[in-house]
Amino acid sequence: MTVLVVSFLLVFVPYFIPWGPLDWLSGKLMTIAAVTNAFTIVIAVYSQFRRSGRFIREKRKGWVYHIYLLVLLAIMTLSGFILGQHAGAYEWLLLAVVTPLSSVIYGILAFYMASAGARAFRARSPQAALLLVAGFIVLLYQAPLTGAFFPGIEGAATYITNTFGMSVSRMFSISVSIGAIVLGVRMLTGREVAFLGFTEGEE
Amino acid sequence: MNEFLQFAAVVVGIFISFAMYTTLYGKPNPLRDWAEFSYLGAATGVSIVISLTYIYNTAILGIQAGDWILIFSIIFGLMMLFRMHPDYSHVSRLPLAFTVGTGLALSLRTQIFTSFIIQINATIVKLWTGVPLEFLYRLTIAISVITILTFFLYTMELSGPLLWTSKVGEYLMYIGFGGIFAQTFMGRLGLFVGYMESVTTPSWKVPYTLASAVICFIAAIIFDRTGLGQKLSAA
Amino acid sequence: MAKEGGIYRLMATYDKRWVYVVLFIVVLGPLINPIGMPIGISALTKNYYAQLNTLQEGDIVFDTWNMEFSGYMELKPGVLATHKMFIEKGVKLCIAFGHYEGVALPGEIFKQLQTWLDRYDYREGEDYIIIGYVFPNEAAVAALAQDFHANVRVDWKGNSIEGTFLDDIQNAGDFDMISDYTTGLATTYMINHMVLQYGVPMVENSIGVSVPGHLANLDAGLLTALLASTRGGAELEYLIGSPGPGLKSMDAFTLGHYSLMIFIIVGNIGHYGWTRRTGAKDRTGIK
Repeated sequence: MTVLVVSFLLVFVPYFIPWGPLDWLSGKLMTIAAVTNAFTIVIAVYSQFRRSGRFIREKRKGWVYHIYLLVLLAIMTLSGFILGQHAGAYEWLLLAVVTPLSSVIYGILAFYMASAGARAFRARSPQAALLLVAGFIVLLYQAPLTGAFFPGIEGAATYITNTFGMSVSRMFSISVSIGAIVLGVRMLTGREVAFLGFTEGEE
Repeated sequence: MNEFLQFAAVVVGIFISFAMYTTLYGKPNPLRDWAEFSYLGAATGVSIVISLTYIYNTAILGIQAGDWILIFSIIFGLMMLFRMHPDYSHVSRLPLAFTVGTGLALSLRTQIFTSFIIQINATIVKLWTGVPLEFLYRLTIAISVITILTFFLYTMELSGPLLWTSKVGEYLMYIGFGGIFAQTFMGRLGLFVGYMESVTTPSWKVPYTLASAVICFIAAIIFDRTGLGQKLSAA
Repeated sequence: MAKEGGIYRLMATYDKRWVYVVLFIVVLGPLINPIGMPIGISALTKNYYAQLNTLQEGDIVFDTWNMEFSGYMELKPGVLATHKMFIEKGVKLCIAFGHYEGVALPGEIFKQLQTWLDRYDYREGEDYIIIGYVFPNEAAVAALAQDFHANVRVDWKGNSIEGTFLDDIQNAGDFDMISDYTTGLATTYMINHMVLQYGVPMVENSIGVSVPGHLANLDAGLLTALLASTRGGAELEYLIGSPGPGLKSMDAFTLGHYSLMIFIIVGNIGHYGWTRRTGAKDRTGIK
């Protein structure tokens, strides 16, 4: 807890009371924290190796895929370090595998949203009907062709998104910041220690 | 990379992406699993390379340039790795406490302004500026934020004026959600359209795109009808 | 004998995979055979264009690519159009990534900008420097904002940045503008530690999902301009007179939106015509 509070103060206080040596120290502490956090990738990779290792050892369904995963991981890592990031197998795999699949994984959400909208969007209540009407107006505006034939749609859609939509986002922002401040104070006062692996009361 | 390898990367990329799209068929098939595990392996490899390069560029080069204090970043980072050991995981508590304390300071010292005070300042503003449309916008925003907050924050049973503001807030929130849904769909559709645009431009890619789509679709049907999909998939 | 419910039952219980097929066709079709539908320009995009026009030759812009490759697919029109403006104006760019997939982006982006790079003799090392993946977390953003050269010594290929235009940058306040392309990632941290602390003007090219949140920041004065998703990028292409992937995608965009609306209407007709009347549950799953 002492480390938590001291590191907090050394970074928090200089923001409000600027003083050369303290500014320098807080900057270095931020860099140290950034690099320390970057090491956690090793923990993620270790977890993946453990999981895949279990699948392979126990010959569970799909164990061949896990061998393939680990081999590809090794090729990617070794070629990146040995041959460099701008050449060889690393660059080829980046262009042939990582970039297209990254695009697809998020692009598939469009289909899920469309089917969810088709199945779940029902005007069953006044609130749902309001949601549907507002959604329709904004969807119509977002299709560029509509604005060409009905210029007035821009005014209505902009009014909905720049007032009601923005208000909801602002509300989330304010609520989340209140929650974050409360959680931060709880952590600093020792009421929230689970993140360190302690149970309450133990330290 | 020579031209043939670049061409091969594009064609393999198009095929593997349609192999992933067979997820939409809704039944397990080995093409989809091959694509999924390829992404897991390759993306994890990329993240290792990039993260370790970041550590080298920031910490190692910094230490070499005379910033000796950055040695602590290496020490703390290595201590963090003890999280994986069942008997020595307590060693990771020190760097964890340090990074959490620093992270808390960074977020609390700024979030209270950007996500709280400035947002409230922007809501409670002078309503009349001489422009009727601006008045309408400002009035709507002020009423919406206050009533929606009332609905959202108070989780106890409400009565009197607070109940009515909460009811108004609920209805205004649904209007807001309608707009947000439309913008979210625009975003997701943009992701899909953008990728389809990239696999159809320039036009020489179109036959490969159509061929990959047809082959993967037919393969998904065959795997489903023959029962091989369930047998050969990972799940 | 006719099935009970007839057309209404069909509208309520069709297989959802037909939605996927229709979406594929209405998107792929216009991309292969463009129709050429008209497009209007929104006030948001006009403001974004006006903000970029305030830049002068030699200004240094912190160009942050806080996007994965998937996000780039959506933001591509805005990214390319904005960079065309930067190149034309002779602005210096310091390019940073917020995601490890950013490594694949420069090759893709600068390949499409090659004509502009050649026309204006815009070179890596002199006019733009790529410093690589420098935003793994909030602490990295804050540290870089406070002391640039203590956290960035080399570019993404390992070459020293000493002796370049980045010598003039001590902290985030020395940038003339931040131009951010985001799917979320480090953008909030940049607003917190660069915009709030140093008052640097920041323009945002955001995916559709994040637009509501960024509208709140725009209204609060934390952002100076916002370009919304593919549509905003297409509008910017139109404004700068350089058609590209955005304008090409607008036909598919339009048909995609209309098809969603039709599916919702069909579903509601089916709901009121069959599901609600018979008390049956909607079933549009895969059998």
